[in-house]
Amino acid sequence: MADLITINVDGKDVQVPPKIQLIEALRTYAKVDTPAFCYHPDLSVAGNCRVCLVEVAGPRGFAFGIACHMQTAPGLTVKTQISSDRVKWARRGVMESLLVNHPLDCPICDKAGECTLQENYMNSGRHESRLPDDAGKQYKGGADHRFTDAKGNDRGGKKIDLGPTILLDQERCIVCSRCVRFMSEVAKEPQLAIAGRGDHAYITTFPGKPLTHGYDLNVTDVCPVGALTGKHFRFQQRVWNLKSVESIDPSDAFGANITIEYNNGRVWRLMPRRNPAVNKSWIANSTRLLYQQLAVNRLTDARVAGVDADLDAGVQAAKAAIAAAKKVALVASGHGTVEDNAALLALKDALGDKSEVFSGSWLAVGKADGIALSGDPVANRAGLAVLGLADNLDQLAQRAGEFDALVVFNHDLWGADAAKAAKLEAIPARVVLAAWNDATVAKATVAVGIRAWAEVRGTMVNSQGRIQLMHACPVLPNPALEPAWQVLAGFAGAVWASEAQAFAAAQARAARLAGLSYRAIGPMGAVLPQPALAAAGA
Amino acid sequence: MSLFGFPQPKQWKGKDLPRVLSRLFDVKDGHTLAVAKSHGAYSTISKVLFDRAPFQIINEVMDSGLRGRGGAGFPTGMKWSFVPRGGQKPVYLVINADEGEPGTFKDRMCLMRDPHLLIEGMICTGYALGVRTAYIFVRGEMLPQIQALNHAIKEAYDAGLLGENIAGSRYSLDIYVHRGAGAYICGEETGLINALEGYKGQPRLKPPFPAISGAFAAPTVVNNVETIMAVPWILTHGAKAYRQWGTDKSPGSKLFSISGDIAKPGVYEVPLAMPYMEFFELCGGLTGELLGCIPGGSSAPVLTAEETKKTTMDYESLAAAKSMLGSGAITPFNTTRDPVLILQSIARFYAHESCGQCTPCREGTGYVDRVIDSLVDGHGRDGDAEFIKSLADQYEPMTTICAFGPGAAWPVQSFVTKFKSHFDAYIAKNPKHADKRDLVTVRPGAFW
Repeated sequence: MADLITINVDGKDVQVPPKIQLIEALRTYAKVDTPAFCYHPDLSVAGNCRVCLVEVAGPRGFAFGIACHMQTAPGLTVKTQISSDRVKWARRGVMESLLVNHPLDCPICDKAGECTLQENYMNSGRHESRLPDDAGKQYKGGADHRFTDAKGNDRGGKKIDLGPTILLDQERCIVCSRCVRFMSEVAKEPQLAIAGRGDHAYITTFPGKPLTHGYDLNVTDVCPVGALTGKHFRFQQRVWNLKSVESIDPSDAFGANITIEYNNGRVWRLMPRRNPAVNKSWIANSTRLLYQQLAVNRLTDARVAGVDADLDAGVQAAKAAIAAAKKVALVASGHGTVEDNAALLALKDALGDKSEVFSGSWLAVGKADGIALSGDPVANRAGLAVLGLADNLDQLAQRAGEFDALVVFNHDLWGADAAKAAKLEAIPARVVLAAWNDATVAKATVAVGIRAWAEVRGTMVNSQGRIQLMHACPVLPNPALEPAWQVLAGFAGAVWASEAQAFAAAQARAARLAGLSYRAIGPMGAVLPQPALAAAGA
Repeated sequence: MSLFGFPQPKQWKGKDLPRVLSRLFDVKDGHTLAVAKSHGAYSTISKVLFDRAPFQIINEVMDSGLRGRGGAGFPTGMKWSFVPRGGQKPVYLVINADEGEPGTFKDRMCLMRDPHLLIEGMICTGYALGVRTAYIFVRGEMLPQIQALNHAIKEAYDAGLLGENIAGSRYSLDIYVHRGAGAYICGEETGLINALEGYKGQPRLKPPFPAISGAFAAPTVVNNVETIMAVPWILTHGAKAYRQWGTDKSPGSKLFSISGDIAKPGVYEVPLAMPYMEFFELCGGLTGELLGCIPGGSSAPVLTAEETKKTTMDYESLAAAKSMLGSGAITPFNTTRDPVLILQSIARFYAHESCGQCTPCREGTGYVDRVIDSLVDGHGRDGDAEFIKSLADQYEPMTTICAFGPGAAWPVQSFVTKFKSHFDAYIAKNPKHADKRDLVTVRPGAFW
């Protein structure tokens, strides 16, 4: 980190890093709340919304400048809304301009409650419009989407279908260009553009081309107003009713940070959670839509020999099957947390020599896209390595005949590679802990339902070697479901009080986890020391 | 011919009028190389240019006090001195011929009548700045001018005056003509650079300024046609000779395009600091009784008749009158005209031409346009003149990326204050004009 420099904000000296955007310096270091519509920390600076205007001392006295484009430099003297009435006046003017052509449809707008325009409108304090009725609004929009409303006003397009995932309400757009910049800078496929100019400028796709990209739902997040909305969440919930917990993308080893938002016994959406070191502000559409599976096709109870049973009966049957077996194959899972796998290792210790642990995955590994997916669908593959588990799943298929019991959790072996998994059918007792009614459950002799990824607290290690924490969303298809670590610890005859105890058990096995705690990992995760360093420390 | 004010009087009040820029304007076929050469075109290059070092040329232009003729009036020599020397990247010279200011038609005259003087000026400037490639960004609608320009460039190439080793020297320059699509904002230098690069014509955030990182991220100098056309004369006759006209801060001559209530509208070259009323006489006199005058293109704040009578045509005098010389487009209007309708027309122009980036200008210009429209339609209420001004105030003090915002606000502010009685007359037409609008109050507890 470079040495801090001193800038003067509202007459007070503030220590800030050199050459960062002034808006970040104001927000983070000077603790001055600075509004912005077009500025986004993970996009280039466009400087067109003008609401972050501040006064900056120059050779000819104080002049307006925008905090998002200006960089901190020694001796910079800034007046914000705190000390300058002119700044307040200018920002109110910007707010009036932004609102003059914006429809007053907050009551039916999905963005209401998390809308930057709405927040700043409340902050600006200028609540009544002074737009004369007879002057009318200039509604934005392309000629194709114009219509005349019941009052005879010319309106911009409503509900324009941009592509498979996104709808556009043109008249709400404030032309901040964030979505355009996202598509060209992050998605690297410039599918959106601003057509027209002046107050008739509007967002559009290229003629005849839809907006289709694996990340295009992120434009609904960067949109500061309700112009771009995802079809999956349109008119589903008022956002202020949603409660949220922080979690991690369970579908990819990159471990994009997400927020699970739920209400009324249902998960309504997943949102990206900004982590500058991991996924920045972006998640893939595939990650975002994972919530749709949480209430579908769940294994909410147990199944013993193909017959539905309650969870207790399932657990008893599983314990009996393991006890009766002479040789047990335990399969670790990269889809489970570090805690789950620590419980599996505890079961291995309890069973002693009659058990063997196998690890790995038969899922194909793709290429990283450089945004928020590593291409590896096994989210916690690095966590298995941290626990010292070797990638030897193929050996299990070859040596299936040696075993007479199999314990699998959170791991759809038959779904990943049915041909290899078919060899496991030689094992007579197949105990499967699964959240969904998947292909592996279909092959199980005893299947016990467990909590899915959204419903557990635990840690995963991503492809960058960063351990990240997921929190449990309290929406369960069956309240009696237990996380995998709890069921597995039960098989081992242990009673672990909490995830923290499971994590402590994992730490006892892995030098690289030494010294960590959930608090130390925190919402942004913690980078694990390299194996060699950890060994030297131990 | 008479439409453009030519042939011009050679003398005015016993003194020769300057012919720095308009030397060939009334010469038949002056745009062809043969005729232009017979009148001394390219003599600067053959006689003066390559004997001097580039820095001497920049100093000469700086000493002459030549100021940018596009509208802002920035000292040309100073602009050139900002270009870094000996960098890794090429330096580009871009000629701004995107003449779009309403009332301005001097550059099209230059391109049509004397394109060789522009080319000569570009060679001088290019040599001074170390430019290898230069562009001329021409407004797309000016088709005959573009044809004349292309013809002149071809002639110059054929005569060895462009391309490799110009006139036997070691200096080489290529000129490309780029046709714009007719957007007013492409006359703003960074908007022009964006359009030149193939992007939408929207001004860029500054810094970096074009002198450091302009076209294709290389140092770029953008100059108006008329500015560059003055350079050969200055180099031939010297900075001191150029200062025989005008004042200390506004030396030299300038092309003025006058239209409106005047007997002989057209393009005239006169020394700077000529009084407006004297200039009107030169142009055949005003028709009708003067009500007001737009002194420098539609974005310049309007002057009332009294102010016009006190003002001279130079940068300082107009600055003192809180207006500007701008592009030198003068539009006097007489008492038969309605200032409200003039402003309506101007406001509509700026609402149409705002590039759509910065909120205050993007939404504000259209807002003002619609409020003026409703006022003209008879929906005005008491206090609307102040209301309109308060809207324009929001994009006046450089709250935007470029100077379009101030330029769009000045006519609104000046018209509604200086011709308030005309606006009040429209408001009085509304039988309900005394009904108050809901005044905006800022709620207590506002955060900012």
